[in-house]
Amino acid sequence: MINDFVRNLIYFILFVSIQVLFLNHIHFLRMATPFLYVYFFLKLPYGMSRSQMLFLSFITGLAIDAFTNTPGMHAAACTLAGFVREPLIRFLIGKDMPEGLYPSFRTFGYGSFFRYTFLIVAIHHLILFGIESLSLFDPLSLALRILGSMAVTILLVFAAEAFNLESQRSGEKQ
Amino acid sequence: MRRLLEFLVTKRHWFLFILLEVVCLVLIYQNSAYQRTVLISTTNVVTGNIASLVGNVSGYFNMRAINRELAEKNGELEMRLLQLQNEIRQLQAREVPFDGYADSARVFPYKFIMAQVKNNSVTQLSNYITINKGKKDGITPQMGVVSESGLVGVVSLVGDHFSVVLPVLNPKFRQSCKVLGRNYAGSLAWDGRNARYAQLMELPRHVEFQKGDTVVTSGYSAIFPAGIKVGTVSDYRREHDDNFYTLEIELSTNFQALDYVRVLMNEEQAEQWKLEKEALKNDK
Repeated sequence: MINDFVRNLIYFILFVSIQVLFLNHIHFLRMATPFLYVYFFLKLPYGMSRSQMLFLSFITGLAIDAFTNTPGMHAAACTLAGFVREPLIRFLIGKDMPEGLYPSFRTFGYGSFFRYTFLIVAIHHLILFGIESLSLFDPLSLALRILGSMAVTILLVFAAEAFNLESQRSGEKQ
Repeated sequence: MRRLLEFLVTKRHWFLFILLEVVCLVLIYQNSAYQRTVLISTTNVVTGNIASLVGNVSGYFNMRAINRELAEKNGELEMRLLQLQNEIRQLQAREVPFDGYADSARVFPYKFIMAQVKNNSVTQLSNYITINKGKKDGITPQMGVVSESGLVGVVSLVGDHFSVVLPVLNPKFRQSCKVLGRNYAGSLAWDGRNARYAQLMELPRHVEFQKGDTVVTSGYSAIFPAGIKVGTVSDYRREHDDNFYTLEIELSTNFQALDYVRVLMNEEQAEQWKLEKEALKNDK
């Protein structure tokens, strides 16, 4: 339990800082910004209480908001993503998942992990860009921005996953 | 009753979810462009300092002192220029019909404070700039911000040591501007597409201009003095109702490479607003 807490804290600090220090400044072709910080709540252990999960994702969003001067936008997107995470895992993997398992390539399998990442990132980005476009609606560039950002975010999540030693080890342990 | 309680307890994450989303929506909607929460923004000391790490790294290491000096000097000169232009205009105005009415002892009301850009974005839809001067340095919301090359934005939120600027590159930004030498003003706004271009809208169709003409602030607000460079006309088109032009303006400020900026303080701003507000009230 303590281990879980420390691990989550490290993940939180690491990915929020990567996001605010580097990735927020990347705008590939003026369209795509990677939001790698979703990796933090993608990797939270399965079987956490749902209220806890909601709080964690809400706080992650709020932390990012504080740095981008957009109070509420990221928080709203993250809260929804955090809310649908557990039913989504159950839907994709089935009910026979042991509790406390970290989602990863090994535990989910490549296909399921990809679908899981894709769906969470899609929900998060749709809400985020949807709220953002309330102040200026431009359907074509909105669609391009969503798709572009989703592509780079998923790419980075997979890169992070491939280099994540912890996820490979814990996969063997389970 | 017991059933109901049990139901509520088992479904408590639903209520929590709804509660948190409502909190988010309140946060999104409560803040207008000029009043935003200080806590969840880069004016907060903690976030401001962390965000400024990036600004520190990307600034020139050796050239910083020199750069600063030059920027300051340049700022003073530009202020002097604006002041002189203003004096000339006053003199001209005095020459002709109402001789003696303009107050010749009147000083140019704008002063400036140098500030460094600590956090900056250009390709989000709602961009904001964080600068390293705040309330303690005398900055208040609604002050104009310019760089050496031209218009930057308006201060929207002020913390103790940092402030957030609403730049031209934000859909909430509006500024009255005109083509240099013509006295009809249009409204400058940004369409969210390209950080190099903004749009000057509602310019009456009889205004004469050509591609390449300079666009400057009109001085119709108490935020910017007249004559601050905004950019050059790169293209134009007619609006649907045919009576107005929309001009594509190539911005003279390079928002991607902002470092030092100047915050303009207008000593007469409060007075002007008070007067305008009263005029509006009397009108009702």
